[in-house]
Amino acid sequence: MKRIIAISFALFMLLNLIGCAKDDNSSIKIGVLLPLTGAMAKFGEMEKNSFELARIEINAAGGVKGRDLVFVYEDDTGKPDVGRMGMEKLITVDKVPMITGGYSSSVTFAAAQVAQKYRVPFLVNTGSVDKITEPESFDLKISDADKFYIYRLNPPVSEYASGLEGFLKNLASVETAIIFHENTTFGTNGAKAFAISCERLGIEVFEIDSYTEGTVDFKPLLLKVKEQKPDLVYMISYVMDAALLMKQSKELRLSPKLFVGAGAGYTMPAYRENAGIASEKTISATLWHQSLPVPGATDYYNAYIAKYDDKSPPDYHGVEAYAAAYVVKDAIERAQDFKSASIKTALDGTDMMTAFGPVKFIAYDAKINQNKMETYVVQWINGNLELIWPKHLAKVEAVYPIDWNAEWK
Amino acid sequence: METFVQTLVSGILIGGLYAIIGIGMTLIMGVLNIINLAHGQILMLSMYITWVLWTYFGIDPYIAIFITIPIVFFIAEGISKFLLHPLMGKDSILPENQVLMTVGIGMVLVELARVIFSSDYKSVQTSYTNKSWYLGTISFNTPLTIAFIISIIMTVGLFLFLTKTDTGRSVRATAQDKSAAALMGISTGKITVLTYGLGSALDAAAGSLLLPIYYLYPDVGPLFTVKAFVITILGGLGSTVGAIFGGLILGLAETFGATYISMGYRDAIGLIIFLLVLVFFPGGLKRFTKV
Repeated sequence: MKRIIAISFALFMLLNLIGCAKDDNSSIKIGVLLPLTGAMAKFGEMEKNSFELARIEINAAGGVKGRDLVFVYEDDTGKPDVGRMGMEKLITVDKVPMITGGYSSSVTFAAAQVAQKYRVPFLVNTGSVDKITEPESFDLKISDADKFYIYRLNPPVSEYASGLEGFLKNLASVETAIIFHENTTFGTNGAKAFAISCERLGIEVFEIDSYTEGTVDFKPLLLKVKEQKPDLVYMISYVMDAALLMKQSKELRLSPKLFVGAGAGYTMPAYRENAGIASEKTISATLWHQSLPVPGATDYYNAYIAKYDDKSPPDYHGVEAYAAAYVVKDAIERAQDFKSASIKTALDGTDMMTAFGPVKFIAYDAKINQNKMETYVVQWINGNLELIWPKHLAKVEAVYPIDWNAEWK
Repeated sequence: METFVQTLVSGILIGGLYAIIGIGMTLIMGVLNIINLAHGQILMLSMYITWVLWTYFGIDPYIAIFITIPIVFFIAEGISKFLLHPLMGKDSILPENQVLMTVGIGMVLVELARVIFSSDYKSVQTSYTNKSWYLGTISFNTPLTIAFIISIIMTVGLFLFLTKTDTGRSVRATAQDKSAAALMGISTGKITVLTYGLGSALDAAAGSLLLPIYYLYPDVGPLFTVKAFVITILGGLGSTVGAIFGGLILGLAETFGATYISMGYRDAIGLIIFLLVLVFFPGGLKRFTKV
């Protein structure tokens, strides 16, 4: 009996080995780190859907070098320590030659350190704190591009508001501002960056104030707007905090000239669904809009809606993931073999067009391997997110000045 | 001055809601001698029930209280009878295996919610959701005011139940001294099971009251488990009256901290009070009350 068990066990192991070997020949596994559960799961879900959309398209078109592309998802739950562990698992257990994804700034930065340690290329598509592509934060120098394994598709948070700056410059009437941000890496850095933008624009910032994610009652914070009466309220929040901030602003009948969001929550369909009429005419910085003259942008938007849900269309988070999948495909196709080092060399030479916009990893200021992009401004008009800036791309005229009493009736 | 009064009003209103969440946990703490770490998740469960009733049947969240309470009560009775009660008195490596069990129950509830409802954020948009009424220049959020009033009614009801009825007295007796209660002929096993249901039913009411104010997703629970925990400690581990004051103090501390220090330190402020109470009043606010 013992022998039979031993033999069958050996056979079983052998079969497993054959299975593995076969698997290795027929598909290419790439790791994806996303928050699939926890408070940020909504974003993770949109990105995962987009990765899958791209994967199905790529495989239907013949895959990568004749092999199927497979994404191995790892849930970071929105926590840096879990993200680090997930990254270790992808690299040491799943043995993927490359990783992409990375949603929240703090998780992405923690995970990037693991990728750098193991020298596995990590293509970040959403994590936006500046230091992720600054070699100095990894104890490297700006000249160490050959040793730096972190690449980033999306612009860093300090540049999110660059498009907004152009928009505000044309509105000479905005002179004062108040900034609210969630007390996370993303929020704190975004607030600092916008304060610098304000300085450049000659806008006086009355106050920069933070809050904790998941707050029930924002009134103590919003009362400051009532007291100080700034022209502009700039808010950096994830989706449901964004919805509550606007609902409670409406309740307190605040009336600054502009409510401006810093992307993240303010462009999500869930923001509109939950804030309802309170979201109307709010403005947000964004990294992408489906009406941009970028090849594939509208196609991606329509394909996503057709495949998943007609009620929640994707925003820039989704297209970042979709584009990342194509950058991965392009790099692997150009790499000599499936080793991490070869893929890194291929990523260095990336110069392509995606549905998100052009992608090329360059070095500037303190960053290396960073894709430099324009950013845009959108406004919720009659329940739709419309591109309003830059002017030559916008199909819809911005609504300004805004009569809040009429909007919020 | 206006800011001060507005902050005071906001703090008291939110404190009332915190209190009713805290009382449920306090009751369970008092009788079962465990910290119910699935408390926030049960709140989440009742919020989902309320949401389903509103979305598919058009039942107003405040009417839904009468449906969520019995549903959650029976689910909690089941949990208590078949999952928690059997662990009582069992030898185990860790002494608090019932507490660990509540952690597990919480996880299962969250993942079940995720499977059924996905990670989408939900909220209800009733006619009064974004309404406020004004007293001079001070605004009172309508749903929060209603929640506050219902919380008071529920608390008074609970108070009468605990002091005037036989079952209520048995619950208190079991909380005070289990062996003595058993000697007096109280079926402490039954009371224990009942109390978990009762605590969860209060939690269910809180869930229905919270939904029009806040929003809902599967992971909403832990936030409120922590709040309930702080309130339970503030209130003195098992004292219902203490828990009411605990809730109000937490609500006021958070709002005043947010107005005069920074909203970013909201959690820190709550937990600093928690530490101060543990250091200076280890018995919590219970020492000021008799119930």
